Amino acid sequence: MSLSLTVDGDRWRSHLRRVAQSTPGLVPVAKGNGYGFGIGRLARKTQWLGLDTLAVGTYVELPEVATRFDGDLLVLTPWRPFGPALEVDPAIVRRVIHTVSRPEDLGALRAHDPHARYVLELATSMLRHGMSGRQLRTLDLDAQRAGPGLEGIALHLPLEQGSHIGEVRRLLNDIVGSGVDTRTVWVSHLTPDELATLRTSYADFTIRPRTGTALWLGDRGALRVTATVLDVHPLERGDAFGYRSRTAPKSGHLLIVSGGTAHGIGLEAPTGESSLKARAATLARGGLDAVGFVRSPYSIDGKQRLFAETPHMQASMLFVPAGAHVPKVGDEIDVRVRYTATSFDSVTID
Amino acid sequence: MSSSPLNPPLSLRSASSAEHLAHIRSQPSASFLQTPAWALVKPEWRNESVVWERDGQIVGSALVLYRQLPRLKRYLAYLPEGPVIDWETDDLAGWLAPLAAHLEKQGAFGVRIGPPVVTRRWSAAQVKDGIADDAVRRLDDVPPLERGQAGACVVSQLHELGWRPQAVEGGFAAGQPQYNFQLPLDGRTEDDVLKGMNQQWRRNIKKAAKEGVVVTRGTDGSDLKAFHDLYVHTAERDGFTPRQLGYFTTMYDALSAEDPDRIVVHLAHHEADLVAATISIRVGTHSWYSYGASSTEKRDVRGSNAIQWAMISDALAAGCAVYDMRGITDTLDSDDPHVGLIQFKVGTGGEAVEYAGEWDLPLNKALYKAFDLYMKRRSS
Repeated sequence: MSLSLTVDGDRWRSHLRRVAQSTPGLVPVAKGNGYGFGIGRLARKTQWLGLDTLAVGTYVELPEVATRFDGDLLVLTPWRPFGPALEVDPAIVRRVIHTVSRPEDLGALRAHDPHARYVLELATSMLRHGMSGRQLRTLDLDAQRAGPGLEGIALHLPLEQGSHIGEVRRLLNDIVGSGVDTRTVWVSHLTPDELATLRTSYADFTIRPRTGTALWLGDRGALRVTATVLDVHPLERGDAFGYRSRTAPKSGHLLIVSGGTAHGIGLEAPTGESSLKARAATLARGGLDAVGFVRSPYSIDGKQRLFAETPHMQASMLFVPAGAHVPKVGDEIDVRVRYTATSFDSVTID
Repeated sequence: MSSSPLNPPLSLRSASSAEHLAHIRSQPSASFLQTPAWALVKPEWRNESVVWERDGQIVGSALVLYRQLPRLKRYLAYLPEGPVIDWETDDLAGWLAPLAAHLEKQGAFGVRIGPPVVTRRWSAAQVKDGIADDAVRRLDDVPPLERGQAGACVVSQLHELGWRPQAVEGGFAAGQPQYNFQLPLDGRTEDDVLKGMNQQWRRNIKKAAKEGVVVTRGTDGSDLKAFHDLYVHTAERDGFTPRQLGYFTTMYDALSAEDPDRIVVHLAHHEADLVAATISIRVGTHSWYSYGASSTEKRDVRGSNAIQWAMISDALAAGCAVYDMRGITDTLDSDDPHVGLIQFKVGTGGEAVEYAGEWDLPLNKALYKAFDLYMKRRSS
């Protein structure tokens, strides 16, 4: 009766182990919906992998992972002198590594907690958070060296567009030029080849790759997402159905399946594709009821089926044209989802 | 590090050779390519001496060579291994902005500098191990012994200020090597230096002495001629194009006129035969081995090692901090023909150093782009 993620446990675990073994310094990322698995489960898996640090997105995510993983907890959202960053549970505060992205925040953090552990974030070409090379250079180094809290420099690179190596070299040069007393760099989004190149040229640095998608979702074949067929209604051409009383353009079957907007179905996360076609597809899905039927993420016997109307909160209506195979109530059908934007009713690991 | 707000601003003006030289002399060392005498070695280029002033005091200097664009009265202003300024500064903009403004007024469409700052160092042992290791092909594959903070800071600032790093390969014909091999002499004795050399070098130096190789300093034009004859012979054997005697005469006369110890010809004789000859140049505490030649006969008397040892001893006696064996390529590939030269230099027990390289600032974007394309086409 639900939207389910079923995981081939052996296959998934051996993939996780393979990534962990081939990626020295690996820092798994568990944030948001936990890539569909839930961040609590990912915290337990990080513990099982024997890794020393786990990264979370925000301070509010800390309690859920802290009880399931007992190593260090890196918070990716930069520390600010307000909000939940100031209310970290004293029981875990020594395990937390803060991200400091503005020079003024360093002083404020140290005033708030003189024993705070932190990484300094450098701005990359993504320009989200982070200081410039000049800001890093002109930080109050004495104040910084006074405490043992500096755990490294963080870089958040944009998604691959050609090679990152040139940019990373430039950023590492900024680190050397600043004189900061660390040679540990926490990086995201480097390919295995890029990491290997860096580990050769910068073997005097400790590189900590932060990895989410490539770790948890790196072996898609181990994952299967299914919905349950909840109801099946035959339709003649012209029959009215749905919240909006649309009429069927031709005869076939109306399928009611589990999974709706509450699960993230029909709510497109940006695919990251910027082609005209991809943008047109997104538009079409948004403007569903303006035109005819639109392709859904549900497929039956390998064929993607059309939405009969926009998804409801917990169920969706599909149209199966006459002549096609019609599944029975209770059957499971495959769904293609964006894992980072989907909440499953159940996650089963075989 | 000094920072600008505490200091009055810098200004820059054209200067006489005498003012320029006086500033060079006030420095512990500077590249010989930045001495006013070097302008006389490059008569095909217009040149200018400039100085930086702060509160009426000269605090920096540069030799600018103007390379003309074909058919246009516009120039690339080239400051080889310069300028001679405070490279430890955190306010590079304060130094470079007046330079760029001045050069633009002189008709420059772009500026090229070669900051004399070290970005990485590798020990002789690291280079040697790298050559022996098949997985290592370039210096970059080996983590350096040291990364220079001042050098990295210069690189960061040049990026910030819109300068562009120039690839070492190709490009400007006069481009200076980014990788050099140097023997540190600061605080060391002849004994220390000898102990740092590999066994083969020590054995060869001893052997040359036993065979009776005598190294002398040249005293007149005929010695320069003797160097040149052997150099032409070496060029034929090793397959490179030799420079004319006139180039060396000009260089010798210009540099000697500036300082009698600036340039020295060394000759190594075995009995009556000249077996090796070199030219060394010194500015302050920096001594360069610039040109070398060796005979094909009598290699077993080890004239090359003897003459190097004489130059190193001279540099030590002159109180030098660095004996500089000049450029190496960054290859550590044992199959590369260049590797032999590195291996010879590595035997001295010195270190490979990487400089920040050459950097360009376009002043006229369109002309600079055209020039860049032209140079790329020329080198390919």
